[in-house]
Amino acid sequence: MPASRVLPYYERPAIRGGQEDALLITAAGLNQTYVSQDRSVVPALADVSLAVAPGEFVTIVGPSGCGKTTLLRILGGLLRPTSGTVHLLGRAVTGPSRNVGIVFQDPVLLPWRTVLDNVLLPVQVLRLDRQTYRARALDLLGLVGLKGFEGKYPHELSGGMRQRVSLARALVHDPALLLMDEPFGALDAMTREAMNLELQRIWRESGKTVAFITHSISEAVFLGDRVVVMSPRPGRIADVVTVELGRPRDLDLMASDAFGVYARKIRQALGPRGMLE
Amino acid sequence: MTLRDVRQRPHVVLIPLVFVAFVAAWESIVRAWRIPDYLLPAPSAIARALGLGLTNRLYVEHAWVTVSEALLGFLIAAATGVVLGTVIAQFRLVERTLYPYVVAFQTLPKIAVAPLLVVWLGFGVSSKIVIAALVAFFPVLVNVIVGLKTVDAPKLDLMRSLSATRWQTFRFVTFPNALPFVFAGLDIAVVFSVLGAIVGEFVGSQRGLGNLILQFNTALDIAGMFAVLLLLAALGVALHLIMQAIQRRVIFWAQPDHVIGA
Repeated sequence: MPASRVLPYYERPAIRGGQEDALLITAAGLNQTYVSQDRSVVPALADVSLAVAPGEFVTIVGPSGCGKTTLLRILGGLLRPTSGTVHLLGRAVTGPSRNVGIVFQDPVLLPWRTVLDNVLLPVQVLRLDRQTYRARALDLLGLVGLKGFEGKYPHELSGGMRQRVSLARALVHDPALLLMDEPFGALDAMTREAMNLELQRIWRESGKTVAFITHSISEAVFLGDRVVVMSPRPGRIADVVTVELGRPRDLDLMASDAFGVYARKIRQALGPRGMLE
Repeated sequence: MTLRDVRQRPHVVLIPLVFVAFVAAWESIVRAWRIPDYLLPAPSAIARALGLGLTNRLYVEHAWVTVSEALLGFLIAAATGVVLGTVIAQFRLVERTLYPYVVAFQTLPKIAVAPLLVVWLGFGVSSKIVIAALVAFFPVLVNVIVGLKTVDAPKLDLMRSLSATRWQTFRFVTFPNALPFVFAGLDIAVVFSVLGAIVGEFVGSQRGLGNLILQFNTALDIAGMFAVLLLLAALGVALHLIMQAIQRRVIFWAQPDHVIGA
């Protein structure tokens, strides 16, 4: 296994020792229900518990309507669960935290701001020192492969480039946790694979903890240290698969037998309704 | 212009061609049937009237009065429309309280109030400014409200994920996001303000292009009336183009696909 800067969670002493404090984010007994238009109560999440270690890359895979996005919104403090608790860095989550950076399904860039000003939006909102963070924003734009694009406007960029800007923006205020909600779902297959490689590199270089939502099994296996498999209606965790493949992973890996074994395991956990790929 | 340009954009040639054909038909019909000037003057007569009015500065003085009335009215409408629209869109209670009045007032034909305003404010420019402002106000107000309420949820989620204050969300997202709507409203308002000024002058005035139309009407100087109408059309187009030019610079990210006059 090639040496990587960030150890997979299962190799970390803290996890082996089972120390709860060492976990970055924990969710315990999450339930989420909402009232539909005909006034019936619809469960969206049922008894979801999850723990993510620092530096770990966790992917959450499941079909549409399995509550993945609901789970991510709860983890990010954008939605309060009907019951259950979330702890981030040992503190109960009651709302959005500056320790979390979110990459949404769409890039959600502000079209009237340049690329650099879009990346600096969290800095402005959180009232951090602009001069210090300007340098950091430029570094991050380099990290996501957009050096020299800082003065462009979003409409001058391609879809993949916009999502890279959005990634730089989510990282600019140095959050401990990066939440990603199917960020590459709208991209074509080839751009998507390229972005997966890029994301793996950025994650390894930045040392962030990532929770990444996807409905693609191969994307989940390729990126994840662990894959959380969710089943729909109500959303619950069907299985958690630890992916013991070395890092950095390259695209050829996707054709390997080991990769296929993991993909099959996840497909089985999803059941016949999960056959979306 | 080369032949290739013409093939690719035939309308560039067709637009002036339609004008020439129309004017020629008009001129020949008036001449052939000997239609008297007090019913329908020939284009050549209108051109003479326009040339005369412009050279002896009669039209220019009246036009200046109307333009200043319209622009002052427009500025008042734009300022109050943006401020009141923002307050209505941002505060639920204000919206619920004021909206019925806004709707009631909007359905009222504003120009019907013109005689009342002339009684209150007199025959001078102030009554025209107020009428122009009143007519131009509603397109601004409605567009500001709609614009501020048309923010896509992901942008608001983004701001919420950063624990942005209400003011930050307004300043960084909601307000710039509303600007294309605001400019659409202003574009309508600037044309409406001229309408308001003219109506005000019809009701009671000493000067202005509306007043001039009435004078020519009484004198049965139909060529003069047409000349003033041409002037008003030119004025409308000029104001619209100025608005478009400002719009292109301010909301550069929301370019309309077509540009009038290009």
